[in-house]
Parts: sequence; C-alpha cells; structure tokens
Amino acid sequence: MQGTINGKLVEFGENETILQTARRYDMFIPTLCELENLDHTPGTCRVCLVEIKRKGDDFTQIVTSCNTPMEEGNEVQTRSRKVREQQRLQVNLLLTDHEEDCATCVRHGDCELQDVAQFVGLKEARFKYDFSSGRTKDASSPSVVRDMTKCIRCGRCVTICREVQGTDVLFYENKGVNSEIGVRDSDLLNTSDCVSCGQCTLVCPVGALAERDDTEEVIDYLNDPEMFTVVQFAPATRVALGEEFNLKPGSNVEGQMITAFRKLGADVVLDTNFTADVVIMEEGSELLHRVKEGGTLPMLTSCSPGWINYVEKFYPDMVSNLSTTKSPQQCLGAIAKTYLAEKMEIDPAKMRVISIMPCTAKKEEAKRPEFTIGERPEVDVVLTTREFGSLLKREGIWLPDLEEGKFDNPWMGVATGAAEIFGSTGGVMEAAVRTVHYIVKGEELPGVDLKAVRGLEGIREASVDLGELGTVNVAIANSLKSARELVGRVRSGEKEYHFIEVMACPGGCMGGGGQPKHKHNYREFLTARQKAIYDIDASSELRQSHRNPLVKEMYDSYFGEPYSSERSHKYLHTTYWDKKRTVKHTIKEIWDELSEGR
Amino acid sequence: MARILYGVWNEEITDNRDKRFFEIEELKEFDQMDEFNPGNPVKAFLGAKGFFVFDKETSILDAAHQYVATAAKESCGKCTPCRVGTEVLTSKLEALSKGEIGADAVDEILTLAEHIKSTSMCGLGQTATEPLIAMLRHFRDEFEISIGRYDETGKQAYTDYVTAPCIEQCPSRVDIPRYIEYVKDSKFDRSIGVILKKYPMAATCGRVCVRFCEAACRRSRVDEPVGIKVLKRFVADKERYVTDQWFNEDLISEKKGDDLRVAVIGAGPAGISAAYHLLLKGYPVDVYESLTEPGGMAGVGIPKYRLPKDEILNKEVSIIESLGGHIHYGKKMGKDFSLDDLIRQGYKSVFIGVGAHRGKKLKVAGEDDSLEGYISGVRFLLYINQHVLNEEQSEFPVKLGKKLLVMGGGNVAMDCARSALRMGVEEVHVAYRRAEEQMPADVEEIHAAKEEGIHFHFLSQPVRVISEKRQVTGIEFVEMELGEMDSSGRRGVTPKPGSEFIIDADNVVVAIGQEVDASFLSDDDGMELDRWECLKTDDHLATTRKGVFAGGDCVLGPATLIQAMAQGEKAARSIDEYLTYGRPQFDSDRRMSQIVECVRKHADDDVIQPVKHQYRVRIEELEPEKRKEIFEEVEKVITAEEAFREADRCLRCYRIYSVITDH
Repeated sequence: MQGTINGKLVEFGENETILQTARRYDMFIPTLCELENLDHTPGTCRVCLVEIKRKGDDFTQIVTSCNTPMEEGNEVQTRSRKVREQQRLQVNLLLTDHEEDCATCVRHGDCELQDVAQFVGLKEARFKYDFSSGRTKDASSPSVVRDMTKCIRCGRCVTICREVQGTDVLFYENKGVNSEIGVRDSDLLNTSDCVSCGQCTLVCPVGALAERDDTEEVIDYLNDPEMFTVVQFAPATRVALGEEFNLKPGSNVEGQMITAFRKLGADVVLDTNFTADVVIMEEGSELLHRVKEGGTLPMLTSCSPGWINYVEKFYPDMVSNLSTTKSPQQCLGAIAKTYLAEKMEIDPAKMRVISIMPCTAKKEEAKRPEFTIGERPEVDVVLTTREFGSLLKREGIWLPDLEEGKFDNPWMGVATGAAEIFGSTGGVMEAAVRTVHYIVKGEELPGVDLKAVRGLEGIREASVDLGELGTVNVAIANSLKSARELVGRVRSGEKEYHFIEVMACPGGCMGGGGQPKHKHNYREFLTARQKAIYDIDASSELRQSHRNPLVKEMYDSYFGEPYSSERSHKYLHTTYWDKKRTVKHTIKEIWDELSEGR
Repeated sequence: MARILYGVWNEEITDNRDKRFFEIEELKEFDQMDEFNPGNPVKAFLGAKGFFVFDKETSILDAAHQYVATAAKESCGKCTPCRVGTEVLTSKLEALSKGEIGADAVDEILTLAEHIKSTSMCGLGQTATEPLIAMLRHFRDEFEISIGRYDETGKQAYTDYVTAPCIEQCPSRVDIPRYIEYVKDSKFDRSIGVILKKYPMAATCGRVCVRFCEAACRRSRVDEPVGIKVLKRFVADKERYVTDQWFNEDLISEKKGDDLRVAVIGAGPAGISAAYHLLLKGYPVDVYESLTEPGGMAGVGIPKYRLPKDEILNKEVSIIESLGGHIHYGKKMGKDFSLDDLIRQGYKSVFIGVGAHRGKKLKVAGEDDSLEGYISGVRFLLYINQHVLNEEQSEFPVKLGKKLLVMGGGNVAMDCARSALRMGVEEVHVAYRRAEEQMPADVEEIHAAKEEGIHFHFLSQPVRVISEKRQVTGIEFVEMELGEMDSSGRRGVTPKPGSEFIIDADNVVVAIGQEVDASFLSDDDGMELDRWECLKTDDHLATTRKGVFAGGDCVLGPATLIQAMAQGEKAARSIDEYLTYGRPQFDSDRRMSQIVECVRKHADDDVIQPVKHQYRVRIEELEPEKRKEIFEEVEKVITAEEAFREADRCLRCYRIYSVITDH
C-alpha cells in the first residue's frame, strides 16, 4: 500500500501505523508514552500528533501517529503549523498536570517529558493550576518510590507489570485529574503484591516511579570515622555502570569502581563474586543432598529477591522448593561480619556493609528481619547501580577518568568467572553445573562452558549427565511471566525437573530494576551487557567456584563443610514464609466505589 | 412540542431569535424536549453534537460550564487533553462566568475546546466540548452576554446523563464501556460489580444474551463489534466465587418489616431480577414457581450445552436465597393459589413474571397436538432439560424416531434441532418459511447447527401435517419465493404454485413462537389482557389491579432474557415507589434516555478516524463431531490475554447529554 508523509511517497503494510512508517523512512515524530520495544502504544499522551487527509475526504484531521494505521492513499503531514501548535498545547497540558519540581527530581536532566517539551518547541508553561497535589506519594516500600504527582499516565509501568512480569500489581486508578497508577488491593506498595523488581522504574519516562534513594545513608557511613565500611558490588553492575557515564553498554568498569570506592573512603572493597562462589558451594551441595536424600525437587534458585518475593506471595506452597542458600549479597554481609571481622579483628557492630546492586529488590532483601547479625542487618545499605552513578556525580567523580584498581583483600579478594556469570540469566545454573559436575564425577565439565543454558529466551532447558546421579534436567526462566509459565509446567508434571534457575528480571541481574535506564528504550542493551559478562568469564584465570582458593581456605578455617556444617547453616542459609494475601472485596465496597464514580 | 429558539446540531444551525415565539415552528421530533418533568420546562439541551436553546433567558455560558465540568468529572484520566484540558476549561469557564477573566479569553477557550475535541482518545473527550464549540462559532454574542454575571445566571438547574450507543440499546442499560474498561485494568471484580448492579444472572446473560448492545456497537464500522457478551461471560466466570461469597443478608442496609412482604410469581429472569432488586431494597420476598426447577425459560427453554444449569443458572438464582428470599417450587398460580390468596396472606404487592410457555401452532391442515410425534418446541426443550437434569436416567416422555423435523427459524428452533441430535436422533431437519438471511436465530447458532450436520430447508412453508394412525409421518410444504421489500425493509414471501413437496419425519417439533398461557388467571384476579393476550400494564409495569405489577414475556410476548431482567428491575422500582409513596416517582435517567432518543437519529455516528483492524476474539468450541452427542457446554471461556485484547477494541463511545431546566 502507498501513501505520503510530508509529500514523500511511502509504502507500508496492513495495520502498520503512521509512526512505524515514518520511522522506517527516518522521519521523526515526537513521542512520549509510546515504547517501541515493548510494543506499547496506549495513545494516552496524545503528543505524537500528525495531520492526515484520508483518501476521498475533503478535510484533514489530527490523529495520534502511534496507534493510527496508514491507509492506502492517505496524506500525512507531521510538521504542519496545526500539528506543531497542537503538540505544544498538549505538552502544555501535560505540564499543567505534572508537579514541576524539576531541579529536585530523580530524573533531572534525564527526563522524557522535558525532552518532549523541547522537541515541540515549548517556550512557556501556559496554565497554572494545582491539579496534582491530591495524588499519592508513596514511600512505603524500601525499594520503589511512587510519586504520582509526576505521573503522566503513559501506562508503561502497567504494561511491564502485567505483560513482562505477570504480577499485574500496578493499574490505573481513579478518574480525571485524580487518576493515577494505583497498587492492586492495597493503598501502599509495601503492603501489596509488589515484588520490588523495579522493572517499572526502568520504563517510567518521568520521576513518578523510581528507586528509593539511599545515597545519603551511604555518605554518612563513608564519612563516619567510627565506622569500618565494607563495600561490595555485584557482577552485573560493572558491565552497566559505565552507561551512566556515557560509555557504551557492555563496558567493564570493575577497576574504576574499585578506585572510586577507595576515593570515597571505603575501608574494604569486595566483590560480590566472592560470595557468588560461596553460593555455588552451598547451593551445589544442597542440590546433591536433595537429589541423594530425596528432598524436595525441583530445587529453585534463591539469588533473586524479586523471585523470592514472588514465590512467597504467589506460590507459598512452593517455598520448600527454594534453595535455603542465601543470596550472594547476604552471604557477603554475613561473612564480612563474622569471618572477615574475626580475621581483621574488627568489631562487627562497627562494621557497615554497603552493597551496589543492579536491583531494587536487594534493598528490601537487606531489610528482611531474618538477615541480621547482632543488632545490625548483615547488609546495612544497598544502592542500585543508578544511585551509585549519581553518588559518584555528587562527589565529583567521573568514572571513566579513574585508573583501574584491583581487589586486594587477603581473605575475600578473589573470585572466579563462574561467579561473574551470575549477572546473566543462566549464569547461576552454569556455574552450579560446573561445580556439581566436578563434585560428582571428580573431573571438570569438558570445555568448561554449558552453552545450552545461555541466551535471552524466557525459558531455556537442558539435561546434564551427572554420572551416578543420572541425567539431571535443568531449566532457566528469566522474567516473572516466564517463571510463572515454567512453574506451570512443573505443577502440571508435564516434565520432571531437578534444578531451576529463576531471575525475576528479564535477562537476569544485568537487566535488573536498578540498572542504568535508557530513554525510549527497554532491554535493547541487554545483549551488550551479556556479552561483556561472558567475556569476563572467558578471560578469567579461575572459572569454577570450587577452584577459588580463598573460598576453600575460608571453608577449611572457618565454615567447615558446605551446607552441612553448623556455621554454614547459621550464616549462609535461611527460611522463607507464606506471604500470600487473599483480598476479596465485598460487593458492597465495589458498589460504593462505583457510585462514588472512582 | 418544543420550539427551538436557536442552536446547532451536527453543524446544522437553527436561529429563530428574530421570530416571535409563537411564530417558531413546533418540531414533532423534539416533542420530548418540552418538559423535563411535569411543570418543569426544558430551557436548553446540550449533547454530543451541539445544543438547542428553547428559552431566551438561558445562560449558555453556564450551560457549557456545567457540561464541561461533567466531562472533567467523567474523564477516565488516561489521555492528556480530556484529563487536563476539560479541567482547565472548566476553570476558565467558571472564571469567565464570574468575571475574573474577560471576553479576550474566549479565543483561548475556543482553541482549547477544539484541541480537546480533535486530540482526545475516546468518544467522551472527542464530544465533551462540542456544544461549547458550536456556541462559540455560531452564537458567540449569546455566550458573551453572561460573562461576569455568575450571580444572576450561574448554576442554572442542570441534569446530566452519560451514556453510549451500547448502553442505550441495552434494555437493562448496563454501563458496558465501564465494565469493559475494568477488564482492561484487570479489575474483574469491579467489572462484574457493574453488571450485578443491574441483575444477578451475569454468567447466564454472558452465555445466552441476544446482544442488542453489540448490534449498536460502533466498532462494527471499523471491523466487527466488540465481543461484549464474551467479556461478560469472562468476568462472570472469572469471579464465580462472588455468588458464593458476596451475597448475604448483611448486604441489605435497610430491612423492611414483615408487613411489607412482596410475592413474585415465576422464578424466571423477570421474577428473579425483580426479587433481587426488591431484596436489595430491603423487602421480604417470596417467589412462587410452578415448575420444580428455577430459571423459567432460561432453565427449561435453553439447552444445557448453551447454558449449564447446576454450575451457572441455578447458582445465580440461589443469590435470591442468599439474600434471604424464599423460592417455593411446584406452586402454580391459578392452581395452588390465587392473587386474592396472596393478598389475604399479607403480601402488600405482587410481581407477575410467568413468561410465555405455550408453543404456537402451525395452524395448517391435519395439525393436532395430540398426535404421536407432534410436539411444541418449548415442551420438547422442557422435557430434554428435565431429562438431562436427571442425568438421562429417566425415560424420555417422547418416543424419538430416526428422523426429526423442526419447524421454525429462531433460537428455539436451533435449540430443538441441536438438542435432538444430542438425544441420539440420526437425522435432524429444520424448515423455515423465509430465506436464511431472514432467520431470527443468532448467526452463531445457525453456523453451529450446520457444523453439527443439521439439514436446512429454507423458503419452505408448511401446508399440511401428514399422519397415519395418529402417528405423524411428515409435513407437506410449498416452496416460497422472495418478493419485494415491504415497508419494514423485509422481503415478503409468496408461495410458488404447484411446488408442493413432502418431508418425511418420525417427529415434528413446532418452534415457531410462544404465547402466554393465560389460563392461570381467573376473573377474580382482576387482570386485563391486551390484544396479543399479554398482561396489560402501564408505563410503570402496573397491571390493571392495584398493587400488582408484571413484566417479562407475559407482558412483552416471547422476548429475551435481557428484556425480562430489565423489566424485573423496573417493576421492583415501581413496587418500591408504590409501597413507599403510593405512586411512581420521576426517574431522571429514564427521562434523559427518552430525550436523547429524539436526537439519536440526527446523530451522525460514523467513525471518521482510521482505526487498526483487529477482529474479535474467536471463541474456542468443542469439536462438532464430539459435541453433537453430548450436552456439555459447547463454547469455552476466553483467556485473560484474549479478554484484555478484546476489551482494548472498545472505542468508548461515551456521550454526555444534559438539560437546563427551569428548576
């Protein structure tokens, strides 16, 4: 089919939108609510306006290009005066409804609404009304902050929550200027079914949904001479943080991060990868124990706190399937405040463990009441990769300018490539198989890699021959929607699995809700981050967790046997709870709500 | 009849301001706009296509202000222009009215109004400023008169009404776009809540409704109507627990005493709906049902493969008992009790919803309903439902041969034919006197019947029932020819002379319509019938006997589930008003609906914007080969993903209408 855009002849297919066609011909139309790689075109912002004349009509009309199809013979104008004026008026209206507190906003300088105001040439905010102050500000969650005074109702978060994660917690609520994104069956996030994955914060075009900002607390600790600060950062952070400093996705800034921490005054800089190796020792042994002793199978990984929340809230009958091994973040906190404190002769009560994580749910995980040592949490404060980027900027540190440092702690300063791949979906599984293979068969997995579990597909499966244990079926899910599908397969008994890795976020930790975000882009950069992770592994000297010499030494001198020793159980394992909520509204409540017109 | 002083509708301008009032032509089509309620003239009418002013003292600025304020309140808040624009506009119009800003602001107001119209996402925003734009383009002088005169002209008596084409066509006026919106937001409990406000039989309606709404759906101008019925069934099935948990006597806020008992005759859709609303209003209700099972025609007239009884229909009927009502089965009026008996027992009001259960006859030579092998469609379905209810253990009261012939082209005929197959009849035929396109049955039903291997004979008019030794052996037909279009737009049929032919059959099922079996009434009841032998009622469904109301098929003649439920609701309201005030009260929504009907035919409701084609969800069905032998439900419920997608097809054709009245 053919039509014209700005007089240029264009060809297009059935149901192809004006926006899609224009983009194919490299013509720019300002957009706001639309998110191409989520196929999200709700048409709510009404900014991507164009003027069209349908074949046979003697009049033109204004339509949104994102969800209006091209039709044979239609003439489209994207830059007519009428279009430009209406786009400007639209953004004017958007700003009227939006709390314009730009200088203090988490999205300062990185805001899609500000961009679109510039794209349409807005010179003044024309209307001055207070339409936003009645809306919800929700700081109840340790992970995600909801400020509905800034919401522009693009609905991207709703789509993420429903279609990518399948949690369906966020939804449109209320009417008119009081409309906002509400939380299903709860007023506040922390009492809802939200699993804190933070995927919504990756797509929010403004500052309406964001990670909880804990940078102030970190600065407190780093500058308190009484405190001994131990920092750790997760594998996925080093391949993404560079993006906050205009480096291309997939740049490995591990060395610069170490230097940055030292500049900031951290006493010990550790790699979460050290405890990822520990987790493999624990989880691998736990799996073998379950297989041999007839424990609950399939065993589900427990590294992803979003996934833990999901099981506790949606599938509480499956908590016994979860590995009791704590996540690498929590293991590091626990080991630092026990083993390391002992070795370095430091009072654990004066120690503060600071994590840099790709994850918003890690903030909540650190606050779980069971994760304490003495009076203090194992991990005292968690920053997302994004917050760490802004912390560095606050401290005047431009990451790419730094020299590369090296981990040097004599007790915990070594990690393997197997730990690094924890940052990608499939990595925990591959690392575990490398080690379990060695324990069972007494020899390394031929070729080291288990490429069958790599990739970005929602669900992947493989079978591994483990000698006397027979063939073990493993599966990997990333994103909670895929996890739900996989759980469905498990429950239907359609296939028997022994070990399942689940990461709540698409792509695993590298796609975590705390990672650098990109305007008008969701997930596109995952491939580059993933490649960087596997490159780090491939170039590592040590590539199997069981070969980490400091891990071996720690077990020999402190923890004893993985999984079975008393200390290992006390500090490296945990329990889970049934947190399912059953909320039923009475018909009376619903009718009252209907008559109030909400 | 109303005299339009000035106004604009659908871009057509009327200006009679230079005429004296009596010179203005009275327009018959606007007869409803004379008075809103008795003694309260309509001064102005505003709607989605413009406005009319009937009284020169009207402030159209204030009228527009209140109208736009309604839009701001009703806006769902998703799209920018409707959410923010209508709110800004409301503030500006108020400021203008109060004189806080002057006439120089009017251009900006018009720009904003046009912007909201041209860029809003759905029908609500797209029409929210239409009257204002019409005023400012054509009667700006009249508009500006009221600037700064809020104290004199502001806040005129104003009534608004928000509706949509589907709502207007639904006899129960269910807020359809709203329950669809709730599906989009996956608030399924709210969605079913919208439906349950109108009637308790949501899952039933979601299966067998004839869908007046879908016939009115503007989406059909793009591709196909929204699958409103399947969405209803989806939420009803999804939230099935509601019938177990939601309804109990605690729900009734103000219980009325035993001295205000109401009797409902008939546990069909009309009676159940009336009982439901009466119970919710606090009345003690007893339902009397002549059969041994509930549901009326929905229970015994619709086969189980379309409407499961235990899990669906009976469960929904049981809401009446959950709310504290009592259903007495096997109690037939005219046999077990009379109206006078009920009054003597202390019932203060009675609702009659006995339905139309007597099959019409062919009225041809040789017809005799005592012949072996001859049966009416409704009776046939009744027997089948009872047989299936007994898990096919009881002996079927009719001897079925190898070949069965159904006469008729409606849904009852389809139900008979498809049920006969399921009863093991080898060969089932349907004969209909007109063409296939003229069949009143749902297209889906006809299609399903064909899939199951039923043979159709169109343009076949019966002329004689053939029997041997009191056993039916077939029907003699004459072929019909399609003739000219008659005044109602339907092509007539005329017999082709000499074209007679015979279809042999062991059984003949006559399903050409039903009528009220008025034998339950006696002279003492004081009830009058109309010329169609239906119960005579007034606008409020009051019968000719004081305190006795009626609704459903026994008033309408054989109609539909949704019409019966709507009448049940309406009668419940009338009974409540009768028992509270002694007479009917003014119903402003109903009045607005009548007024809107005046302009509906003037409204050009084409979809002018290009819309992506997305065809409606296909419903999964049991395979014809499998299903034709069993009574298991044929249609399956759609998935949540399908429901989201289907709900997204709704164009939300909300329209606001309002009147300014004297007081």
